[in-house]
Amino acid sequence: MRLVLAILAEQRGEWRHGYDLMKAAGLLSGTLYPLLMRMTDNGLVEAEWREPAQQGRPPRHVYRLTAAGFALAIELTRESAPLSGKEMLA
Amino acid sequence: MTIFLARLLMTLASTSMGDDRRDWSLAMQAEYEVAAADGQALSFASGCLVAAWRELLASPQGRFTLTNYAAALGIMLPMAALQIGCAVFGLPYLYPGEHGLPGAMLVGGSHETLLRSIYLGAVPTLALIQLITGIGHVRLAWLLVERDWPGAIRWALWTLAGATALVIFMSVLFLDAQQALLQAAIVGLEVAAIAIGITRHAEIAAVRNPTG
Repeated sequence: MRLVLAILAEQRGEWRHGYDLMKAAGLLSGTLYPLLMRMTDNGLVEAEWREPAQQGRPPRHVYRLTAAGFALAIELTRESAPLSGKEMLA
Repeated sequence: MTIFLARLLMTLASTSMGDDRRDWSLAMQAEYEVAAADGQALSFASGCLVAAWRELLASPQGRFTLTNYAAALGIMLPMAALQIGCAVFGLPYLYPGEHGLPGAMLVGGSHETLLRSIYLGAVPTLALIQLITGIGHVRLAWLLVERDWPGAIRWALWTLAGATALVIFMSVLFLDAQQALLQAAIVGLEVAAIAIGITRHAEIAAVRNPTG
């Protein structure tokens, strides 16, 4: 989940397609979709339908982080980041 | 062949997803088109099937659906096969020792000559009742999978009525109705299980749509 959060947080306002996310995260669809479903259920990710770029193709789902999702992504990044000298002394 | 298999897996994934995940099923279908164009149809489709099955096990609705399938395939269809087979092959499993009606008539016993004509006359009726309860079980299994609760409870009660009638007929004819009684008891338990299932389904639906 951290990885998906991090990828979505990189371009916070942008909507991403499922297949693009899969490739960016290096995850299989069997791992990514349950994650996205869970994250959407928990209000971390929002999803909506978009008309396809190519005619004759079905509408596609796109995803982006919600404010809560972005806050969690920042929190997790901060936790996993190496501690600064000041933080180590504190 | 790969595309055919991938489409088959996608169809299976879509049907495995519950109604509450219909949007996600459509989303995966749409992305499948992109994955297929990228030459990743099979791996994407297999992943979607894994995702659908994980969801099925994770949600109460999914577990409930799986329980219905298990009850239909593991209890009702074997019961139907036993009952239909029993009716078609001359009720062999209905009597102790599996000797069929000749065993029940105490062939060779002193009162065999007195009862033979009555029992032989009753065989078609007993076989018909047994056949009806078997067919009832097949229909019941189907309705359970379809989640047609009013239909399921109606057919379960008819099947129970058939099984009870069989016990009564056999008792009237002084036949050993032990096996028939056991079958009727199983049907009774099925009626109770369906009634519980209806309540459980209503509870799950209420959690999913709290506004009603």
